[in-house]
Amino acid sequence: MQRNKVELLAPAGSFESLMAAIKGGADSVYFGVEQLNMRARSSNNFTIDDLARITSVCREHNIKAYLTLNTILYDHDISLMKNIIDAAKEYAVDAVIASDHAVLLYAKKVGLKVHISTQCNITNIDSIEFFAAYADVMVMARELSLMQVASINREIKRREITGPSGNLVRLEIFAHGALCMAVSGKCYMSLHSDFSSANRGACIQNCRKSYIVTDKEQGTEFEIDNEYIMSARDLCTIDFLDKIIDAGVEVLKIEGRGRSADYVYTVVKCYREALDSYYEGTYSHDKMDDWKARLSTVFNRGFWDGYYLGRKMGEWSNIYGSKATRRKVYLGKGVKYFDNVRSGEFRMESQSLEVGDEVLITGPTTGVVQAIVNELRVNDMPTGKVKKGDLFSMALNEKVRPSDKLYKLVDA
Amino acid sequence: MIRIIQQRAKCIGCNACVEAASYRWRISRKDGKCTLVQGAEKRGFFSVVVGDDEYESNKSAAVHCPVNIIKVERVK
Repeated sequence: MQRNKVELLAPAGSFESLMAAIKGGADSVYFGVEQLNMRARSSNNFTIDDLARITSVCREHNIKAYLTLNTILYDHDISLMKNIIDAAKEYAVDAVIASDHAVLLYAKKVGLKVHISTQCNITNIDSIEFFAAYADVMVMARELSLMQVASINREIKRREITGPSGNLVRLEIFAHGALCMAVSGKCYMSLHSDFSSANRGACIQNCRKSYIVTDKEQGTEFEIDNEYIMSARDLCTIDFLDKIIDAGVEVLKIEGRGRSADYVYTVVKCYREALDSYYEGTYSHDKMDDWKARLSTVFNRGFWDGYYLGRKMGEWSNIYGSKATRRKVYLGKGVKYFDNVRSGEFRMESQSLEVGDEVLITGPTTGVVQAIVNELRVNDMPTGKVKKGDLFSMALNEKVRPSDKLYKLVDA
Repeated sequence: MIRIIQQRAKCIGCNACVEAASYRWRISRKDGKCTLVQGAEKRGFFSVVVGDDEYESNKSAAVHCPVNIIKVERVK
């Protein structure tokens, strides 16, 4: 039987990340507008006014655009929720990712497609049947094993559970990125400690800190192997995508609306290559090692395979922040691009740059460009090194713009 | 006297300030964000100067705001 190819769904927390996802090879992107999404605390949230540009960029590049509207909602949010959905409908957003029943009802009423968010914690076939009245795509709870996902998929076919489109319900899982210590994001710790509800998109990430364990009765402090007792490692599935596809998963979601554009580009590109190689029949261990090494260069807390393979109940990070093997150093801004000689001009605002260095350029239209510096020119004269204050040019195959930022990639 | 300042655009509409000082904060049903009652806007920041008797409850609103957009300061 001919199966649909798996859809690669990427995060877009900013226009830079949106372009990075497109350049990396995503089939679709998800993003939030205003405050009713799980990254409301992120400084880069889009507004309703950005919807037109987001959907037009997505259409231009032939990818789908999904809007996340998956926080818990209070009565006072209903009007905003309806305004967002009306605008999403007007600008032809492909679907809304929802968890609150109010969103399901309203989206259905206005005829906007719905994907059920992982916040709904779908873990069984009867829940699928329940939500099938509203949605064609459902994100599984992250705690399921692939065996359980496969069983749900078989049962969808056996019972012929179809969504509003009349097609069989499609299953989506998280493939890569941060995992939460709580059940599919249902965490109350941030609300408890800082009045900052994770379920309103304002998680302060208590679980990422280090802790000590004390016996309150005797005041004894216990020695524990790892002080980061609640900080889950990041999910990485790139070395068992074949098992995921065999389980019947049709959409792979990459977490990271709060991550930088270069993170989105690197992760999406690795997963794109992995999926393509699966379909070409060249998915191999050598390639997996290369992808894993590349994934390690950007933000990560160390990797584990989540709960999918049913092997371990949890693996915890042993550091605060990232284990990325590369880091980026800000150098300056783009000035202009000379099409005739394929050269980009930049102004150095800090640090220095030498021939042979690896650079990263990010911007809202450019997305992400990575390149090795072959030649540097100041006043059209070749030079080996440029420093703070210099206006210089270097050969680049892709256009750069004044809105672009230039970074140097160095070993962490 | 005290001055209460709010950076309204960043409000996520959690209702915590209303719980702390309902006479000074009201959630807008239009955009789901909180409005500082009698607040005057200047470059995105809303502020109002009120009596000292409002200090405790509005300080509590500031402490409980998950996105730290409320500031309460003493003025002469």
